[in-house]
Amino acid sequence: MRKNFEKAYLLLSPSLFWLTLFLVIPVLFIAVISFTTNGDFGAIIYEFSTDAYSAAFSSLYAKVIWQSIWWALIATIVCLVVAYPFAYFIANSGKWKNLLLLLVMVPFWTNLLIRLYAWIILMNNQGVINNVLMDWGFIKEPLALMYSPGGVILGLVYGFLPFMILPIYSSIEQLDKTYLEASEDLGAGPVRTFLHVTLPLTFPGILAGFIITFVPAISVFVVTDLFTGGKLLMVGNVIRDAFLVEMNWQLGAALSLLLMILVLLSLMIFMRFTSRKDRKLLV
Amino acid sequence: MGVQMVQLEHVTKEFDDTNVVDDLNLDIKAGEFLTLLGPSGCGKTTTLRMIAGFEKPTSGKILLNGQQVDEMEPYKREVNTVFQSYSLFPHMNVFDNVAFGLKMKKVGKEEIKERVTKALKLVQLEEYGNRKPKQLSGGQQQRIAIARAIVNNPKVLLLDEPLGALDLKLRKQMQLELKHLQQTLNITFIYVTHDQEEALTMSDRIVVMNKGKIEQIGLPVDIYERPQTRFVADFIGQTNILEGSVTEIEGDMARMEFSGQTIDIPKTNEVTQGEEVYISVRPEKMKVSSTPFDSSINLKATFKEKIYVGSVTKIVVTMSNGKELTINEFPDKIEDFTETSDIYVNWSPNNSVVLKK
Repeated sequence: MRKNFEKAYLLLSPSLFWLTLFLVIPVLFIAVISFTTNGDFGAIIYEFSTDAYSAAFSSLYAKVIWQSIWWALIATIVCLVVAYPFAYFIANSGKWKNLLLLLVMVPFWTNLLIRLYAWIILMNNQGVINNVLMDWGFIKEPLALMYSPGGVILGLVYGFLPFMILPIYSSIEQLDKTYLEASEDLGAGPVRTFLHVTLPLTFPGILAGFIITFVPAISVFVVTDLFTGGKLLMVGNVIRDAFLVEMNWQLGAALSLLLMILVLLSLMIFMRFTSRKDRKLLV
Repeated sequence: MGVQMVQLEHVTKEFDDTNVVDDLNLDIKAGEFLTLLGPSGCGKTTTLRMIAGFEKPTSGKILLNGQQVDEMEPYKREVNTVFQSYSLFPHMNVFDNVAFGLKMKKVGKEEIKERVTKALKLVQLEEYGNRKPKQLSGGQQQRIAIARAIVNNPKVLLLDEPLGALDLKLRKQMQLELKHLQQTLNITFIYVTHDQEEALTMSDRIVVMNKGKIEQIGLPVDIYERPQTRFVADFIGQTNILEGSVTEIEGDMARMEFSGQTIDIPKTNEVTQGEEVYISVRPEKMKVSSTPFDSSINLKATFKEKIYVGSVTKIVVTMSNGKELTINEFPDKIEDFTETSDIYVNWSPNNSVVLKK
């Protein structure tokens, strides 16, 4: 038995080495830096300090963190509401299935940044949507589609919708159709079959989609950058600015760690509610 | 006689231009245990699924208790199905699985509890209400699937090879339990299987299907002893098929020429002189000896091998036309035959079943 473990570690050693070098050590660096003292021009002075954490928990940054959680959460819920029916439709679309899945994936072939620029053309005050609505006399003033929390959430939904569709699709696809027949056989119509059988049995897919949508949505900074010109902030913006603009690596490191803990917590919630088999939906 | 519970009138089901079920006519009486028996792909499961409502017939009518249902959705039909894979809901415990149908019918909580408990008791699993289906053995899951169906008091219970996944011993036991359950509840059972022994054990009537059509409908004893087609004779149990032409008809008996020998056959099925026919003789009806029989049936053949299968020994002989016959004998009655030694085969003419070509 012991011998087998040793063999297993031997086989794993390349990936363990990789993970240690590029994941564990950098995270440790960040942890260490977050407890050092900030010097002039971003110098790191190796004296223990919790200044970075006091700053991170100050009302200014706490507000940004809560705002990020809140926006990412709303965007994730919107994604779920849009993605579930769509994933359901794909899973039941027979020979069109592969084509539709391809369409879901196509946006990944272009960088998110470029795709968001395309949205700016649509959503600008002089953009296509506002112009059309004003020409037709629906509105007098242009709608503030950008530079608003609504615009940020729209950007997040657009950017991460495929992350929600794919795991949900996969869980619906794997659902054994005889459960649905059994439900109908026992007197449940389509609606009640959906609520009592389909929904609970595809719940792992929903949860997986929730996690892999929420995690990037909370840390992304390009959406707020492009859609609000930096007027609205998410935690990603603050971290980047701390490192690159304010030259306060300690604060950046502390905020990064807090974000990581937040993500780990949501993963733990996922683990708590799913079985080993369901976790494959995350990959 | 009983009321017609299920009636199929000229029911046809097409999949991709082939008739999986082809102009099927069948009346099933209330309280009957009827088995649809046939090889895979014969249309038996499709027939069952049309009665359940999962498939709509391409043409024809299905009546349930006198009411036409072929366009009715499955959840509105008063039938319940026991699925081959059981299909117990994995996210519900046993109690909730069994209660599902009653909940959908908005039965009161107290009554649900009472009826579920009764159903679980009937399948001897009343202690298992809190378990998840995964935590039960195959046989227990099977019983829960039955409980989940019968708790709704369906007019008809449809069973799609429900015992297929169980091991032989458990299957034999469940066959009898199901039969007794059916008699106790007096519900019409429509049972689909490809296992002829299962069909013979449990059924009041058997419908033998092949290629979407009915080959024969009858009591188990009819199906076994008096098959009407070559397919039925071949499919049910083991049999020897001999092919020849009718040479003369004389009173109750006829004679058939077979591979250069003449044998007596019963004059059934209105055979005419000169007609080419098959006869089917069951292995257990035949006898073998190293000395000729003093009988009109005395086929000469050569001994090929004997196979001990427990209760009987199978003796395989080769006839002069190269075809083989199998004869079942009790092990203690067998003479010592050596390979290629001459052997004589005999049976009573009444044990031949004449099948038209």
